[in-house]
This record gives sequence, structure tokens and C-alpha cells, in this order.
Amino acid sequence: MKIFWSFARSTFQFIAAYRFDFFMEFVLAVVRMYGIYWVWRILYTQRPGAFGVSLEQMTTYGVMGMALEMFIWSRPQWYMATQIKSGAIDTDLMKPLDFHLYMLARSIGEMFIGVGVLGLPALIIAYIFLGVQFPPDLAAGLMFVVSLVLGFLLLFHLNFLLGSLAVVAMDIRHISWAYFSVVRFLGGQIVPLWLFPPFVAAVAEVLPFKGTYFIPISIYIGRLTGMEAIQGLGFQIVWLVVLVLLSRVLWSAAHRRLVIQGG
Amino acid sequence: MNGLTLYFRLIRLAVQARMQYRADFLTGIIGVIVMNTVTVSLISIMVSRFRNLNGWTMWEMVFLYCLWLLGHSLYSFFFWHISALEDYLVEGTFDQFLMRPVSPFVMFLGREVHYMGVADLTFAALGLSLAYRNLHLQWNGIHWLFFGLAVIAGTLIETTLVLMFACISFWTGRSRRASRLLIRLNMMVQYYPVDIFGYVFRIIVTGFIPVAFMNYYPALMLLGKLDPQSPGGWLGYISPLVALTLVIFSAVVWRLALRRYSSSGG
Repeated sequence: MKIFWSFARSTFQFIAAYRFDFFMEFVLAVVRMYGIYWVWRILYTQRPGAFGVSLEQMTTYGVMGMALEMFIWSRPQWYMATQIKSGAIDTDLMKPLDFHLYMLARSIGEMFIGVGVLGLPALIIAYIFLGVQFPPDLAAGLMFVVSLVLGFLLLFHLNFLLGSLAVVAMDIRHISWAYFSVVRFLGGQIVPLWLFPPFVAAVAEVLPFKGTYFIPISIYIGRLTGMEAIQGLGFQIVWLVVLVLLSRVLWSAAHRRLVIQGG
Repeated sequence: MNGLTLYFRLIRLAVQARMQYRADFLTGIIGVIVMNTVTVSLISIMVSRFRNLNGWTMWEMVFLYCLWLLGHSLYSFFFWHISALEDYLVEGTFDQFLMRPVSPFVMFLGREVHYMGVADLTFAALGLSLAYRNLHLQWNGIHWLFFGLAVIAGTLIETTLVLMFACISFWTGRSRRASRLLIRLNMMVQYYPVDIFGYVFRIIVTGFIPVAFMNYYPALMLLGKLDPQSPGGWLGYISPLVALTLVIFSAVVWRLALRRYSSSGG
């Protein structure tokens, strides 16, 4: 309990110190949600109910795509890149903790701050002003929450793998530009996979990225229901297992290389 | 030696310094090309599945984005480091510029180049020529002249806005947060035609932070979308004037800022 309170206090201090940044982030998140909301509204005036999805479902999808970024986005890669570049990573490795789990714990902590300060307020705005709907039923709501947690874990491991690259590449800034764009695109954050041309859709269907945004939001708006929703969760779990194993293997290889290099 | 010759000599040095890092150069170019490809793909998928966005077809949207990108590419090649002014001030490196017997502005501008602009430029040129062909555009001399002016105006609008936002740090010590707001507004304008948004947003990006003059208004003129009956039609022609006004404005701000400067003693 004592640990919890000290954690809570330091979190509060962190937010207080960066209150202007958080406020700015919040304003920008609202602007993004507003933008995508209007884009779908105007596109839908030409084809109401296009692809078996109603206007309300589509705007909910778009706004949630922007809002959920604050729920599932983690940044272990930046921490790893700076620590590796400066050599300070050796102090992290000396701690009696598994590095992979340590990064996960850090990311979960950051996620809670982000959700509390930005994510939830943005979502409230979305519900009140942008006509975002609730999930069709309780089962969908519960599956959405599970799927969202899986989405967070998937994205964490993808980011962790990117961070591991810093051992070899030293500077991951440029690689990460390409990486972020690919996650946004193949993850279906802005445009859902059912609108993709067949060839691109086939690629996006098998890659892990659609487990980040596309599956949780599709469950949320009731586009994936019943058996299909359960299959979606299964898809996320399978990829998660693969990525966890990959992260362990790749990091231990990177770790060995790092020790030889000498921090 | 006058300012301009000095500037180009500095730029040549900066290019040579950059070219030492080949791997960095290559990954940077690839990163930028992937980013632009994803952006254009998203726009194209959205619009082509629904025919058009408020009257803007897919190729018109590509034209809109690439017109923005072309102006932006020159900015990002020559002037990207203006947004890092804050770091120069905080670290005290800005003092170097003041100690030379030439304009500190020229010294500051010539300090660095950013090759990502090359990738942006290539991508924009390719996108614009594809759009030109697919939209069956037939420009006359005046169109081409205006196109050239609009691109330069785009570069100047972005550069001067970034400069003015960066100058905030002469007063507050920090400017990056304010600059982020500018970047985001700019991003909204680059993807989507401004006419899909509400009045308040349109007034902001037209009158207060006039990023809509980088691509939206000149694109109306270049794509023949100007409605002669509409009262705001003249906005399609005035990008160069907006750029000129901003240049004068930012020069004044820069002078005031320099007078305000006190070194951090780096």
C-alpha cells in the first residue's frame, strides 16, 4: 500500500509539472477526433449505409480510432533507444528485474497516466459532442475491453521489438517514422480494413497490426459479433504469444551483443 | 560578401557535413517515402470508395496533398531547424551567430540542411504529375506562373509561421509546445480540403494561422474549382500576397526578439 501511495504521488507530481503539455495534447486529440468525424460524415452523404455499416457506426469507428491511441500507445522504444545510446542501459540491466517485464511495468504505468489525464476526458467529449455510441450489448462491451487489453499488449511488444533494434541500428528515429505509418495504416486506425482494396486487405488480415486498433473497435461498434468476435480475440492471442517469444529471443540476443560492446 | 552568397556557401558546407552519414541519409529517405505513401494511400482509399469528398475526387485530393508537400519540401530541406531555435537559445549556441560580423539570421538559416526534403520533393513532383495527367488538366502560361508562385508562397508561409512561433522562446524560453499546435493544424489542412470543416476552423486556418493558403486556396484556382459567383473567390489568388505579408510580419517579430535576447551563458 505504501508503494502504491508513493507511486500515486509521483504520478501526480509528474502531471502537475507537465500540465501545459497535457492540456495541449488534449486539445490536439479533440481536434483530431473532430476532423475525422467530419470526414466520415461527409463521405457518408454519398453512400448511406455503405459496406453494411451505418453512419453512426462509422463515425464511432473514426473517433474511437483517435481516442484509443491514448489507451494503447506505449513508448518503451524511446526509453530503450536513449538508454542504449547514452550507455545508461547498464544501470537498467543491473537491477534485479527482468528487463522485458520492467519495460512492460513502466509502459503500464504510463498508460494509466495517459488514460486518466487524456484518454477518459477525450472519450467524454466524444460521447457528448461527437455522437459516439455505446457497444450494442454487454457481451460486446466486455469483449471490447478484453480485446483492448490484448491490443495494448500487442502494440507494446511491437514497440519493444523496435526498441531492441536500437542495439544494432543505434538511431531508430527514421525507422520509427516508417513503422508508425505502417501501424496506423495496417492497424486500421484511420481507415477500417473492410474498405481496403482486396490485395492490401489480404496482407493486412494476416499481419499482427490489425490486432491493435481494428479488432477492438470493430467489436465495439458491433461489426464483429459472436463467433467472429471470438475469432478476433483468438487472432490477437496467437500473435501475442508469437511476439512475446520473439521479444524474449531477440532481446536476449541483443543483450549478449550489448554486453560484448560494453555500455 | 553579401548575405545571399554567404548563405549559399554555408548551405554547401551543411550539405557536405550531412553527406558523411550515408546510412542515416538512406533510412531517412526511406522513412519519408513510406510515410508519404501511407498518407496518400489512406486518402485514396477513403475517397475512391465513396467517389468524392465534398466534391473533391481522389486525384484532386492527391493534388491537394502534393501541392502542400512541394512547398513543405523546400521548407523542410532549408529551414527545418528553425523549429529547434529553442535548443540554440537554451544551450547558448545562439551566441555564435551574434559574434560574427554578418546578419545572425543568415548564420542561423545556413547552419543546417535536412535531406528528408529531397524525398518529399521527389514524392510531391511524382504525385503532382500523376494527378495532372489523370485530371486531364490543360494549364496555360498564367497557370504555370501561378503554380510556381503558389509553391514558393507555401514554403514562405510555413517558414515564417514556424519562425514566429519559434520566436516565442525569446520571451518564454520555450516554444516547442506552441509549435506543436501549429504542426497539427497544418496536418489537418494538408490532408483534407478545408471546406469540409466548420466555420470556426475555416476562419482560424484562413485568417489567424493561414495554413490554408499553402494548398487549399491555390488548389481551388489551379484545379478550376473557383466559383465566380461566390464572395470569397478572390482568396484563390492571394497566396503570394499572404506570404509577402507574413515575411514582413516575421521580420518585425525577429527584430523585436533579437532586441529582447539575453544569453543563457552557454
